[in-house]
Amino acid sequence: MTAFVQATLYGLLQGGLLALVAVGFSMVWGVMNVINVAQGAFVVLGAYIAFALNSTLGLDPLLGMFVAAAVLFLFGYAVQRGLINLVINAPIYLTLLLTFGLDLMLVQGMNIAFTADFRSIPTSWAGKSLALGDIRIPLGRLIAFGVAVAVTLLLVAMVTRTRTGLSIMATGMDRGAARLMGIRARHVYALTFGLAAALAGLAGAMVGTVGTFNPAAAAGYTLLSFVIAVLGGLGNMYGALVGGLVIGLVEAWAGQYLPGTWVNAFAFLVLILVLLFRPSGLVGRPFYASRVEV
Amino acid sequence: MRLSTLVVITSACALALSGCGSKGSAQSAAGSDTLTLGAAVSLTGQLAREGALTKEGYELCQTKVNAAGGVPVGDKKLKLAIQYQDDTSKPDTAAQLVEQFNDKGVKLILSSYGSANSEAQAAVIERNGQVMADSAGADNKIFEKGYRRTFAVLSPATEYLASIVKSIAELAQPKPRTIAFVSADDGFSKTATEGGIAEATKQGFTVLPAQYVPNGTSDVSSALTKLKGQHPDVIVGSVHLVEGIAIMKQAHELGVTPSGGFGESVAPPTPDFVKTLGGQAENVLGSSQWTETVKGKDKYFGTAQQYSDDIQAKYGHRTDYHNAEATAACLALVLAAEKAGSTDPNKVRDALAGLDTDSFFGRIKFDPSGKNVYKPMSVIQIQDGKAVTVWPTEAAEAKFVWPGAKQ
Repeated sequence: MTAFVQATLYGLLQGGLLALVAVGFSMVWGVMNVINVAQGAFVVLGAYIAFALNSTLGLDPLLGMFVAAAVLFLFGYAVQRGLINLVINAPIYLTLLLTFGLDLMLVQGMNIAFTADFRSIPTSWAGKSLALGDIRIPLGRLIAFGVAVAVTLLLVAMVTRTRTGLSIMATGMDRGAARLMGIRARHVYALTFGLAAALAGLAGAMVGTVGTFNPAAAAGYTLLSFVIAVLGGLGNMYGALVGGLVIGLVEAWAGQYLPGTWVNAFAFLVLILVLLFRPSGLVGRPFYASRVEV
Repeated sequence: MRLSTLVVITSACALALSGCGSKGSAQSAAGSDTLTLGAAVSLTGQLAREGALTKEGYELCQTKVNAAGGVPVGDKKLKLAIQYQDDTSKPDTAAQLVEQFNDKGVKLILSSYGSANSEAQAAVIERNGQVMADSAGADNKIFEKGYRRTFAVLSPATEYLASIVKSIAELAQPKPRTIAFVSADDGFSKTATEGGIAEATKQGFTVLPAQYVPNGTSDVSSALTKLKGQHPDVIVGSVHLVEGIAIMKQAHELGVTPSGGFGESVAPPTPDFVKTLGGQAENVLGSSQWTETVKGKDKYFGTAQQYSDDIQAKYGHRTDYHNAEATAACLALVLAAEKAGSTDPNKVRDALAGLDTDSFFGRIKFDPSGKNVYKPMSVIQIQDGKAVTVWPTEAAEAKFVWPGAKQ
């Protein structure tokens, strides 16, 4: 029983971290209909920024993550306005190809700039655990979980209560109509992409604090983001959180009761089962997965 | 038109930066005064860290051999020239690059990093009549296929964990009773685990069922949660760097505290292990293909200590065994060409098969399957943030600390 509770708790916390990695990816896909293959590279870039701030200025990653988010926001905004916007009306495979190229350049650029050495952001708190009898709650992952939940709630509040958020949702629903209402779609898209990059920066700082990273880790984060976005569903800001938590729990339980090497296969089996019964994902809205932009 | 041009330019830039595609211009093979070796190494992808260390080892070999005037072959002294290609950490690419080297007339090959890459390359080498010095492919399967053109300077996979188990059996006081193995599910790691389990059983330890995790994963929490309730005295990981760091980090998070400590195959001797784990790495045991205390010397690199000083001077970091095994593979090919008096691949192969030489890597002599028959493994332990040799005792730099790593 203790092992089950421990696995469940760890799976939930791990799921929160995964959700944080995927939330920006899900938002960009949902709003802009762009599958950003460079999401993993943004996450790793965020980790490097937080690492650099920690090693040069001694800045704790809990503060460094906001700097990473700010830098990634500007980068993401510029990439969308200057690059992706040029092909935003083209078929989805062109944006896919473009972000794939961007991913290759970013990963290789980081390889040159930072080498392939594995890194971790050292803190006094991330490796500690709270003990509840035999159960351990890792502090670093608990904080990452808290950040993921807070980010999701803030996103929901933004898209339902602020003018900017409503513009983002409106543009995601119908770009043409949004333009006719006076919304500058180009700016809204850049804002959305910048926001998603900023969230990737936050996630990177957290990933770098509780785990290890190097440029090659980017591909894994992109794949995870894809799976979580599909599982959770598009068009709902809770989608990534729900998808991340489900993946975290499924992997933890599968690891506990099945041979350890079946974990990934089991996680994908759950994804297939969910899509069989809910093709738009657990909390997604069918419109977002099937629309064709004009 | 504008869109397609943009995409083409971006993709072309990306491919150029990432090293995909043709990966460099073709060069002519061996000139009359050059000994050309081909090396497909993992410069990007999952194995980029170990690949970079391997390349450093090859580069130092070229520098030192050429500084000594080159390779005496017949009545000439040939300059050593190593051509590099990036295999992106993928076995199929590593094999294709060996094929490309063959097309360019490069017949003498230095292996990529890792068993999967080297195994894929060995099959192509055999078919093409090339010759490969294997620096980092340790899986025993490579040597069980009857290949006659692949020669490995390193110990086989079964020795990695067996050496850690032997050191614990010989030196640990109080002697632990139960050992648990956590293994990645790639061929090399599984073979290493089989070797560790066989040795642990032979030494009279109680061996708990092995826990397998996906190769390259950074989440081993399920395996550790399962082991926590079984209270093993020692946890031994058959892992690469990523999984090895994850075991230590997550064991700390989950309060998994074996009374004896931890041992891991490949990870602890790599500098990143201590850099990323800090104090959590303290007293972890690791197996190493080479340490600075290995006995032997050769005319190009001198002793192990001199070799280590050269790596430190050229690259500014402590010598890793991945450096040393790469240089040793290069040395074996150089000495074989010298002995053969020719760069003809068949003659170099025969010279390698008959090679019996002392070196900074220890004695190098191959059995008919291509394994280095004299190669011992060492066991290191992280003490005060440094990897020091603790076994075999005659080569030990420091006393074996037991109980070891405590969480």
